[in-house]
Amino acid sequence: MQVSTKWLKDFIDIDCTADELAEKFTMAGIAVENIVHAGAGLEKVVTGKVAEIVKHADSDHMFVCQMDVGAGELIQIVTGAQNVKAGDIVPVAMVGANLPCGKKIVKSKLRGVVSNGMLCSADELKIEGDSSGIYILPADTLVGVPAAEVLGLDDDILEFELTANRGDCFSVFGLIREAAVLLKKPAHFPEIKVNEDAGKNAADMIKIKIDAPDLCSRFSARVLTDVKLGPSPEWLQKRLEGAGIRAINNVVDVTNFVMVELGQPMHAYDYDEIVGKVLNARRSVAGEQLHTLDDSNRLAKGDELVIADAEKAAGLAGVMGGFETEITEKTKTVVLEAAAFNAASIRRTSRAVGLHSEASGRFERGVNEKATVIALDRAAQLLQEMGACKVCKGIVDIYPNPKPAVKVQFTTKQINDRLGTNYSDKEIVDVLTALGFKISGNVATVPDWRNDVTLMEDLSEEIARIYGYDKIPATLPKGSQQGRQSKTQNFTDKIKNILAALGMNEEISFAFTSVETFDKLQIPADSELRRAVPIMNPYENPLLRTNLIGSILENAARNLSRKNEDVRLFEIAPVFFPKSLPITEQPREVLKLAGLIMGRREPKGWSQNSAEVDFYDAKGIVEELFAQLSILNYTVEAGAHYALHPGKTAIFKKGREILATVGEVHPAVAEAFGIGKKIYIFEADIATLIKCTAKKFVFESLPKYPAITRDLAILVNREVVAGEVEKVIAKAAGEFFKGVTLFDVYTGDRISADKKSLAFTIKFQSGERTLKDEEADAAFKDILLSVEKTFAAELRA
Amino acid sequence: MINYFAMERQIQQLRESAATMISAASDLKELDNVRVKIFGKKGELTGLLRGISQLSAEERPKIGKIVNEARAQIEQLIADKNAELKAQDLQNKLASEKIDVTLPGRKIHCGHLHPLTLTLNRVKEIFIQMGYTVEEGPEVETDYFNFEALNLPKDHPARDTQDSFYITNEILLRTQTSPVQARTMQKNPPNTPIRMIAPGRVYRRDDYDASHAPMFTQVEGLVIDKGITFADLKGTLDFFCKQFFGESAQIRLRPSFFPFTEPSTEIDVSCPICHGKGDCKVCHGSGWLEILGAGEVHPDVLKMSGYDSNVVSGFAFGVGVERLAMLKYGIDDLRMFFENDIRFLNQF
Repeated sequence: MQVSTKWLKDFIDIDCTADELAEKFTMAGIAVENIVHAGAGLEKVVTGKVAEIVKHADSDHMFVCQMDVGAGELIQIVTGAQNVKAGDIVPVAMVGANLPCGKKIVKSKLRGVVSNGMLCSADELKIEGDSSGIYILPADTLVGVPAAEVLGLDDDILEFELTANRGDCFSVFGLIREAAVLLKKPAHFPEIKVNEDAGKNAADMIKIKIDAPDLCSRFSARVLTDVKLGPSPEWLQKRLEGAGIRAINNVVDVTNFVMVELGQPMHAYDYDEIVGKVLNARRSVAGEQLHTLDDSNRLAKGDELVIADAEKAAGLAGVMGGFETEITEKTKTVVLEAAAFNAASIRRTSRAVGLHSEASGRFERGVNEKATVIALDRAAQLLQEMGACKVCKGIVDIYPNPKPAVKVQFTTKQINDRLGTNYSDKEIVDVLTALGFKISGNVATVPDWRNDVTLMEDLSEEIARIYGYDKIPATLPKGSQQGRQSKTQNFTDKIKNILAALGMNEEISFAFTSVETFDKLQIPADSELRRAVPIMNPYENPLLRTNLIGSILENAARNLSRKNEDVRLFEIAPVFFPKSLPITEQPREVLKLAGLIMGRREPKGWSQNSAEVDFYDAKGIVEELFAQLSILNYTVEAGAHYALHPGKTAIFKKGREILATVGEVHPAVAEAFGIGKKIYIFEADIATLIKCTAKKFVFESLPKYPAITRDLAILVNREVVAGEVEKVIAKAAGEFFKGVTLFDVYTGDRISADKKSLAFTIKFQSGERTLKDEEADAAFKDILLSVEKTFAAELRA
Repeated sequence: MINYFAMERQIQQLRESAATMISAASDLKELDNVRVKIFGKKGELTGLLRGISQLSAEERPKIGKIVNEARAQIEQLIADKNAELKAQDLQNKLASEKIDVTLPGRKIHCGHLHPLTLTLNRVKEIFIQMGYTVEEGPEVETDYFNFEALNLPKDHPARDTQDSFYITNEILLRTQTSPVQARTMQKNPPNTPIRMIAPGRVYRRDDYDASHAPMFTQVEGLVIDKGITFADLKGTLDFFCKQFFGESAQIRLRPSFFPFTEPSTEIDVSCPICHGKGDCKVCHGSGWLEILGAGEVHPDVLKMSGYDSNVVSGFAFGVGVERLAMLKYGIDDLRMFFENDIRFLNQF
């Protein structure tokens, strides 16, 4: 909705600036989004008459003009324009003008001749018109007056961003009603009166039917004869222009004018083209052809409301008229329609057709069905005043179930209790009365133009917004409650903090994915990770993600492409698994953790190691995370994962639960994501981690007696895995065993090619006494025997 | 024949020469040579002492005393010199160990939480200290909880502003965190007091540009109890803004419309960048920035979730976490949050 302040000023005395008015509207909930000052830049442009024009002595294309700008003296202006002659009245930009085109006018000399201004073209004033030369004004234009006034640009356009509930403010009258309350000034509405002079009864000429009363609650029509189609008078065209509506012809313009003025959309039919002289508001038949006034043939779906004559649908009600009954130069007799259509139905149809018009926008917010007949009268009156028609007697008005007035019960206390205010009975009644409510005791009768007020709560908003939200006190709720967040929330917060402390950056990525991403990840065809939830109307990627690996690899690739080579990322987010496909209920949402590392182990620096991270860095992060989370006594074994290197994948397990998977990304997967480097990831399931966290943490006291250590270096076959050796050592080490640390792994020239050397430090300690060397030696001997037996290990010298 | 006086003189001479030698010693080794020269087996003092036996019984204790005094004095001189030379040595050593302290320190890479997490954590902190619980709900929602239970029936024009990602006609990606309101009310016995916030990801089918993203983060708030007023809403959000943006932050309430609240308001905060002065890119010189939508809970919303608007009342609000983070950190492009460029993430 947009409207010029001049239009508003027709009905109310506005003694503040457009900006101040806009502020008042906005702070009362009638939001003004933008103000266009139409005459901006024309402040120093006046009308001037060319008193004398001669060729510039030193130029073959310039002229020297003596201009009468109503100042008594003539002023001299040099122009390069070729279309000006003596006696023309033109816009003159005086020295100091700052034109809308960006030109600043200063006193200057053009080839030696002084020029005190500029004659303007339409383009320089940013107005419509022929820009090949100077804009020539009509010969009867007054000289020496502001050009903005003459051009009709001394006006401001308010552009409203109205909320869905205030359909009534989609009209000049609605805005005037608000302005009257906000400015505390009386509104002067025009007298609407029709002289029914056609000598015929409308009811004899046209029959109105409503076959779909659920979609059309009222259908009113007037018949106009002797219609003289032509352009509308200039004042009306200007008003429409200010409202952003193009002028077409007097009949259409008046329907549009009344729509903006009263908020009631109207439609005009060529009476002679209506077959059977009947208009019926009915549902379309599925497959029915609709020939709309944009000359396109549309197929009806079967639930749209159409206005049909005896033969066919003549248009989509409230959205677009029909082609055959459109007003043309041949039109002699017109049927004017003013109806109340169902908001939801209009909304559906206009969305389906993809056409949002001034009319459909108003119907969607609901029109005042009491006012259809007033709109008809107003339109007939205006056309009659223009001499464009005669008006038949009567209105054909079908209104099967007149809407009763809405009555709302309220008390001053209820309103104050809701708002936290202390308004008196009188203050409340005053505001409601000013807004058009009729108050009788504890009952407010809602004015028929306000379809948004049905409850006491709605009344409370009226009081609050008119007195101003700034007058509401600021208090805090009484009483208190215990604030907290859930265990899962605390746990995820903790993981995030630990991972950040371990050098990982948190990422957040969109929940969408695609089959292409699944392919890149090499997810097997039968994996449940491919059973993703599809989106009916996706933006780009059409599926909800089933894993976080795809997005974390995309983020790594993006970083690499930006030359960020050392990347450590993690994300905690839900992934989605359908309970059934196609979807019939909400999917399962499973909270997952994923992490990724690549690039240097240490930050780049003059004295820092430039080695790159490897599998064991990723594994170390998971181990430290688990230690901090008190996830203890898990096992780690080699495993498989769709996106990981088959020889570099580890699975962390506790019993049957998989705690985490860690590994090097499969080179083919990395390549599919455009990553040419080695890259390591881990993933885990948050609920499983919570389940496997030690329930109770008790501190272990520090040892009172010293520990004894023994180093064990053995040669074993290459296939033997260190984890198994550690298990055997632990088992054989006896009661004083305190732990084993692998401190060296060697393969190479000094030993045979099928062997590797493992070196462990084994620690023994007692809580009761200092151990004797012999005790450690005995345990060491047992260990050695055990590893020799189990792994055919040889003790290294 | 050594006589007493000659000996006394020799001791005196030794004292003097020792003092000279000690003082002249330029390092610890030289000083040690001096010590040996005096106290060693063939040392001067040792030599002198051998002569004592030739003195008379009366003279011996006297000379002994003189010798002991001389010894003590020389030893003291050596000790002093020793300390002096050691200090000197240390100083030289330290001087030789000088390093370029302007070389950068050895870097330790710490990770960083995402700025949206940091912002959300602050929001949670403020509300938890005010006694709010943190509630959650599914991201894939039913049309009922996302719209209908919030007084947004099908074909309501306000649905236009929230273009949704639909999974089926009845299931969609939630467009707001408000459904958690209804879910929380419905899991409670009717009219149970509530103070909650519900942070989470929400989804709208918007183009992806500097100010829109198909996924973003919201925090919904809901307070229900006996006698909760619009003034309580204003006071609560004023407190929140002052905590979040600083004590000088002001709020401004503009009437608005949401189907789930009545009265409804949009809340602007005074521009934290320019404080309402000058040609500000963020607030366009208006001095105000829209950050919140809020209102008194609509009685129909209470009723649909089993609460009685004659017994309790409440307020609700929704705030965009991206918006808060952008204002707090001066970020001007929403896409920064989702590109996860480590040069961006490392700054927080």
